Amino acid sequence: MTIPRLRAFGAALGMTSLLLACAKDAGRAGASNALLIVGYDREPDTMNRYATHILEDIQSCVVEGLVTNDEKMNVVPVLAAEVPTIENGAVVLRPDGGMDVTWRLRPGVKWHDGKPHTSADVKFTVDAINKGDWKPESTDGFDRIASVDTPDSLTAVVHYKEVYAPYQMQFFRGTLPKHLLEGRDIDKASDYNRNPLGTGPYRIAEWKTGEYVLLEKVKDYWRGPGYPRIDRILFRFLPNTTTRINQLRSGEVHLVALVPWDKVRELRALATVRLNQVLGNGYEHVTLNEKHFPPFKDLRVRQALAHAIDRELLVGTILDSLVTTVDGPIQPLSWAYEPDVKRYAFDTAASNRLLDEAGWKRGADGIRAKDGQPLAFTLITQAGFAIRENVAQALQRQFRDVGVNASVKLIDGTTISTVWFSGDFDAMLHWWQSGADPEITLFFASDRTPPAGRNINYFADDSLTRVLYASDRTVDQDKRAALLRAAQRRVAELVPELVLYNTGKIDAVPASLRNFKGNPTNAGPFWNVHEWAVGSESLNSR
Amino acid sequence: MVEMRFAVRRLAQAVPLLLIISLLVFGLIHAAPGGPLSLYLDNPNVRPEDIARLRRAMGLDQPLGAQYMAWLAAFVRGDWGYSYADGRPVADRMLERVPATLQLVGISTVLAVIVSIVVGVGAALRRGVDRTASVLAVAGLSIPVFWLGLVLQLLFSNTLGWLPSSGRASFAGGGLADRLAHLVLPVTVLAVAHAAGWSRYLRGSVRLALAQPFANAARARGVTESRIVLRHALRHALLPFATVVLLDASVMASGAVVTESVFAWPGLGSLFTEALAKRDYTVLMAFLMCASVAVVTLSFLADVAVHALDPRTRNEP
Repeated sequence: MTIPRLRAFGAALGMTSLLLACAKDAGRAGASNALLIVGYDREPDTMNRYATHILEDIQSCVVEGLVTNDEKMNVVPVLAAEVPTIENGAVVLRPDGGMDVTWRLRPGVKWHDGKPHTSADVKFTVDAINKGDWKPESTDGFDRIASVDTPDSLTAVVHYKEVYAPYQMQFFRGTLPKHLLEGRDIDKASDYNRNPLGTGPYRIAEWKTGEYVLLEKVKDYWRGPGYPRIDRILFRFLPNTTTRINQLRSGEVHLVALVPWDKVRELRALATVRLNQVLGNGYEHVTLNEKHFPPFKDLRVRQALAHAIDRELLVGTILDSLVTTVDGPIQPLSWAYEPDVKRYAFDTAASNRLLDEAGWKRGADGIRAKDGQPLAFTLITQAGFAIRENVAQALQRQFRDVGVNASVKLIDGTTISTVWFSGDFDAMLHWWQSGADPEITLFFASDRTPPAGRNINYFADDSLTRVLYASDRTVDQDKRAALLRAAQRRVAELVPELVLYNTGKIDAVPASLRNFKGNPTNAGPFWNVHEWAVGSESLNSR
Repeated sequence: MVEMRFAVRRLAQAVPLLLIISLLVFGLIHAAPGGPLSLYLDNPNVRPEDIARLRRAMGLDQPLGAQYMAWLAAFVRGDWGYSYADGRPVADRMLERVPATLQLVGISTVLAVIVSIVVGVGAALRRGVDRTASVLAVAGLSIPVFWLGLVLQLLFSNTLGWLPSSGRASFAGGGLADRLAHLVLPVTVLAVAHAAGWSRYLRGSVRLALAQPFANAARARGVTESRIVLRHALRHALLPFATVVLLDASVMASGAVVTESVFAWPGLGSLFTEALAKRDYTVLMAFLMCASVAVVTLSFLADVAVHALDPRTRNEP
């Protein structure tokens, strides 16, 4: 090499190392009260809470509900002064079969533009959704509201046409600001839909499409000068799970909500990260489609399959003991949970006996058959979900041990929804994630098969259906709980589906983050973001 | 004049071709199971009435033929419609992604071209270089892009901590050095995949050119071998090479799908992945039509250029 060439080479090398040195620590500062970086699995579609069909983590930092639910799934007031109940006189059952719910709003709450948050906003929200000329995601409950009265600026009386038991969560998505949206086409109100006016601890400072949303704290948040404690929260969109976990490990992001169970082990070794675990309000189970595979109509077959599954083995091995087995559709966190139901222990002898009784005899290949039809079905589940693929294979093996031939078929996420909605499958391994209200009518009432509901077991039991509808029309929580407990006992006796385990939720947060509590429902872990703080108390007391 | 007539004829062929493509693409994406409303099914709070209401609001209750005609009529007028996923105009959603993709694809194409020329020429001349290059090219072609991406992330970002693992810029960093650092890994991954193929292609054309009579004639005149390669053979080989690069680059502009997703690069590729998962029909149609127009246009330009430059191709009946 000639001298000038060498010199150029040296310069290039110097430039490169300088570049690397500059870039090396860029964006790798730890979490602080100045900035918390969240690795988020997808970009929101809209910031309008009523229109989004994605988790509302970012939105709920900006737009607060009248209530939310906490880490134990209790309904707690936010913009409401209290949660209306029969006991506190805010819920009145009318003799005509309807009901009136009085929401008393928290005084002194202002929208971020300084205008007061009032009962007129509650009324406007109901009217805007019921007018039906835009695309809110769900009108559930709203379509049962006849009218809203606003006797004063902090009181909204909601008149329901009929008794609606989940009324407490009616406004968990908050209200729409009347003074901003009145008379407008809300679908096209992109100023609001991209950067909504809220009352929450944060506002959207910047949304860089495909990259991130930056939230910054608002001045004069209604909870007082101490809140929120963290100045800015950055949500980076990282759709690839491995990339998201890699960024957490390298310190480029500080917090990842809903860590997949198979990534937990590698994160345990990180000193900078704490894994926060709560029970989920969902359960993994095998749906048995009685319409598509008639042998599932025989109770003995369903019970035999339940006895054939060694759930403790699945949880202890594939799931690394990160979840717990459960026995029914309502989860232990709910006030309506019934612990005392019929359980099906792992017992291949019992399983074999039940199948023999039902007339399914083993053939030469070890597979049972009756009237020339083998006891063979297809178990579908979502492709690309490693844990589920493994569980499906383990189930296949365990069913094989009692002479049942299940073949596993993997289907991509978008397609599988259409498949189950059309009812064109034998059995499916999946979960339901529900809101805080314990309604299960949708999944088990005999008339709620698609498209009228989610009863994709195509299971029908008259006494269960009656109890479920009665529970929907009962507002008194104790009476409703009694009905739902009876329903859970009935479901366990009849085994319409094979319940495996609770879908526990694990969030990876900075070890130094305080007051992070997690959330079992899709309300998401950001429900108490105003309390979060990084570092020791003495450093951040204000 | 001959060129003009040729160009007009090729252009006339392109229009029905694009129409057929649009019909095929429309049919295919609607034939795929699921639709923009599939996502709602998994949410127990969205009731059947809501799904029926949204279907009407989105016009998905219309017959497919009517949906296609409505789409086509609007599309040719430049109205690409609104995204089913977020309700924003499709054109806006695509345009805001263009700079990121152009940056990534542009830089990696330039890099891949330079590497291909150096390696391709080296391999054409020296047997040792050829053997090594051929092993590396096979490796480059057969290693899946997502795997290479993730391994580079693990090595350079997690283990060594030299480079950011993904994104286009650090939020806090922001400067030029930071932006360049974010480019290194995705550009490398994309360039490796293309340089592997292109360098083999160029090696082949250079060797072919060196075996031509003009190369022998030059040798006979005593021209040095390196001069023959650089002044004659390379020039000769670059024309078909440029055609391949142009066509590949047009596919890459829409098709850096995997790289963009692994590196969370906010370009068209990640928009496409997202739209595919959500069955966002309007975005998918606009994206696939743009990609088709790009490919058809570039191959048209390549044809016309070759036609103009090489008189032998004019002798078609």
